[in-house]
Amino acid sequence: MRIQDLTDLTGAGTRLFDQLGDAAGRMLEGEIRLGVTGLRRAGKTVFVTALVDNLLKAGRLPFLDVMASGRFRAARLKPQPDADVPRFEYERHLEALTGPAPDWPQPTRGISQLRLAIRYRPGSALRRAVQTASTLNLVVVDYPGEWLLDLPLLRLSFAQWSTMTLDMARHPPRAPLSADWLAWADSIDPAAPAEEEDARRGAALYTAYLHACRRIEPGLSLIQPGRFVEPGDMKNAPLLTFCPLPGDRRGRHSLWALMEERYDAYKTSVVRRFFTEHFARLDRQVVLIDVLGALNAGPIGLADMKRALQLSLEPFRHGSSGWLDWLLGTRIDRVLFAATKADHIAASQHGNLKTLLDGFVAEARSHIRFEGAAVETMALASLKCTDTVITEHEGRQLRCVRGIPVGRDRPTVLFPGDIPPGHEVFPPGRERPYSFLSFKPPAGAGADGRGLPHVRLDQALQFLLGDYLE
Amino acid sequence: MTESTRDRDWIAPMELDPDGSAPLPVEEEAPEPVPGVEPEVERLPAVRAMRGAGGSRVGRWLAGALAAIVAVALGFDTADLLARSFATSLALGVLVAAAVSVAVVSAGAMLLRELRSLRRLRRIEELRGTADRLEGEAGHGEGDRFAGALARLYDGRPDLEPVLVRLKDAITDAHDDAEVVRLIDREVLAGLDRAAYQLTLRASRDTAIATALSPAAVIDLAVVLWRNLKLVREIATLYGVRPGYFGSLRLLRRMLANLAVAGVAESAHHVAVDALGGSLAAAISTRVGQGVINGLLTARVGITAMHTCRPVAFGPHNRPSLGRIRTELLTLPKQVL
Ligand SMILES: Nc1nc2c(ncn2[C@@H]2O[C@H](COP(=O)(O)OP(=O)(O)OP(=O)(O)O)[C@@H](O)[C@H]2O)c(=O)[nH]1
Ligand SMILES: [Mg+2]
Repeated sequence: MRIQDLTDLTGAGTRLFDQLGDAAGRMLEGEIRLGVTGLRRAGKTVFVTALVDNLLKAGRLPFLDVMASGRFRAARLKPQPDADVPRFEYERHLEALTGPAPDWPQPTRGISQLRLAIRYRPGSALRRAVQTASTLNLVVVDYPGEWLLDLPLLRLSFAQWSTMTLDMARHPPRAPLSADWLAWADSIDPAAPAEEEDARRGAALYTAYLHACRRIEPGLSLIQPGRFVEPGDMKNAPLLTFCPLPGDRRGRHSLWALMEERYDAYKTSVVRRFFTEHFARLDRQVVLIDVLGALNAGPIGLADMKRALQLSLEPFRHGSSGWLDWLLGTRIDRVLFAATKADHIAASQHGNLKTLLDGFVAEARSHIRFEGAAVETMALASLKCTDTVITEHEGRQLRCVRGIPVGRDRPTVLFPGDIPPGHEVFPPGRERPYSFLSFKPPAGAGADGRGLPHVRLDQALQFLLGDYLE
Repeated sequence: MTESTRDRDWIAPMELDPDGSAPLPVEEEAPEPVPGVEPEVERLPAVRAMRGAGGSRVGRWLAGALAAIVAVALGFDTADLLARSFATSLALGVLVAAAVSVAVVSAGAMLLRELRSLRRLRRIEELRGTADRLEGEAGHGEGDRFAGALARLYDGRPDLEPVLVRLKDAITDAHDDAEVVRLIDREVLAGLDRAAYQLTLRASRDTAIATALSPAAVIDLAVVLWRNLKLVREIATLYGVRPGYFGSLRLLRRMLANLAVAGVAESAHHVAVDALGGSLAAAISTRVGQGVINGLLTARVGITAMHTCRPVAFGPHNRPSLGRIRTELLTLPKQVL
């Protein structure tokens, strides 16, 4: 053998070795998909922005073990894993929150995704021997909260869904909003031959009704199907021209049959796709719940939110349907229920807020525990907009919050009402026991380069990712 | 809560004057404990403070009287001595007077230092009690004061300065008291624990080797005693006790009282099994075996000192274990033989 061959051979050997090393490194790189779920306006977009910002700047996460023990190296944004999903516009949202005139991000219109690589030193000597620094790729997805309520549709037939929706529409607080659509529904004959014109008209009226539900104060949460109000890339798609109809299954070629067909098509090509592409592959899940917003909305708003929450948590109920049991059984092993916007109340109230949240999710929680996943509840704020202060009032010391409410430019001290330690949140005889104002993002948030200020985001991260970063 | 009390207590939501508010913390009446909230963490039993236990009142009177007699006798003797020196010659008198005043001043200074060190030990015990209470209640508003007290304890320690700054940055008004205690535990004390563990490791290796190599039992007894005392003082200084002589004695007494609590007191038999069970080499050489046993004892002393001097009690997840020291020591026979 000639010398040349030999060097070639050793060169190839080294190359092969390098490649093997790379492959091994990639294999050792972990990936974790974090599902951020929450009804509309629950705080998903702000949560993801604050999470990414705090991991990138790494200055405000003392309860994250990898930080506290000094093993964290750095985090950095990486290209998308899925080329056909838009990127989560972290920079734009951060710019909005921290710019000269801080403002909240707009309601989310479509799905987006972000991948973040976290580089850290493994905690165990054994893993350090293999690799001095490991990488964990964190994938998060953001989407309009309206779409979440599509998931329970997978379990409902058109007839079941129609009955439920019509029943709801005939009762307060929805009855005044649904008059037009209900009048139309009562005037048509579902058994009549299908006319595209009728279908369009019904869908338009129904969509207008859903928009009204979303618009009124206090806002209603239970709005189905989600794409009717947040179509994303499906604006004016023929798939969205259906609505619930009274009565039972009708003959072929009837309006009823047409609507049912479209409902089923919606389920398979929109909802199921959304589910399999983004929910079926999750490792960890955080469910954001705007408990305070619901309290603000009074008993009716609270009841509606509870019902929507129950529906969106239905996937977690025991024996409901196979697909979610499979989901829980095989992958998601930690679920965090978080009451968001905890900075709307004084810090001394966080304990009571958590207790209240515990009551909300008790059923889902015990089911998830039964399936073997760990569950935690927490009161958090992705972006802390207020300080807790003490004020003297009629000889008593009140714990209040101080911040700048949206629409004003001077700080206000607000006593928003105390959350009782029990579950009786609306004592009889009290008109509006709570008044949680929304606050502007604080001026100069994160200007110190340590990341956005938050409440318990680090503890949430420790629960959700901590063990991946051991 | 009945309807009427709720009515009296109830306050409608409202906006208040921004100028009339004060940021936390504010001195106020003790917060009411949250009903029905049990401390969630499994806690170690609180470390006992032996306040005037054993010492009977008669004994204390006796000691006081004896001390007074000795002091008076000393005073007479000194006065006598001074008078006689001045009678002999002025120069000698001045010399003796100077010596006496130096002795008095330095004795006073020493006494002061001792008292201060005793106070610091008591202070740490108080802090531990407070931390225990705060963690159990998870109230709000007292954590800052606790953090301040701890920062004062470690004031002027250059090694802890960056850590204390980090702690101050980490604590916000949104943390409840239990979270503040946990932050202190993680940010400040965890580092001290690691250092204390290293000190313990080093001391137990020292005693083990000294015992194994010493030619006579008397010598190694002295070495072990001296090294253990030194270790206790090192650990105490690390956690901020700065013990003097009496302080050390007091510390040792506390440690003895807490040996059982700290969970490191096992029968001598157990120690021997630890030491000998794993290693054949140790069985061959009794001196080396003796060394390992002494090393393990020193480790126990060190860990007990950690329990006694730490301002926040160890929880179940971070209590120091003998494990690593034990494995380290068990390799010793091979090194020595
Ligand atoms: N004070 C405070 N307000 C918050 C926080 N997070 C969210 N908010 C408020 O909640 C609103 C909704 O937050 P988003 O993050 O946009 O909610 P979302 O879940 O993404 O909503 P959709 O995109 O409509 O599904 C914001 O405009 C803020 O007013 C927080 O941490 N603190
Ligand atoms: Mg959003």
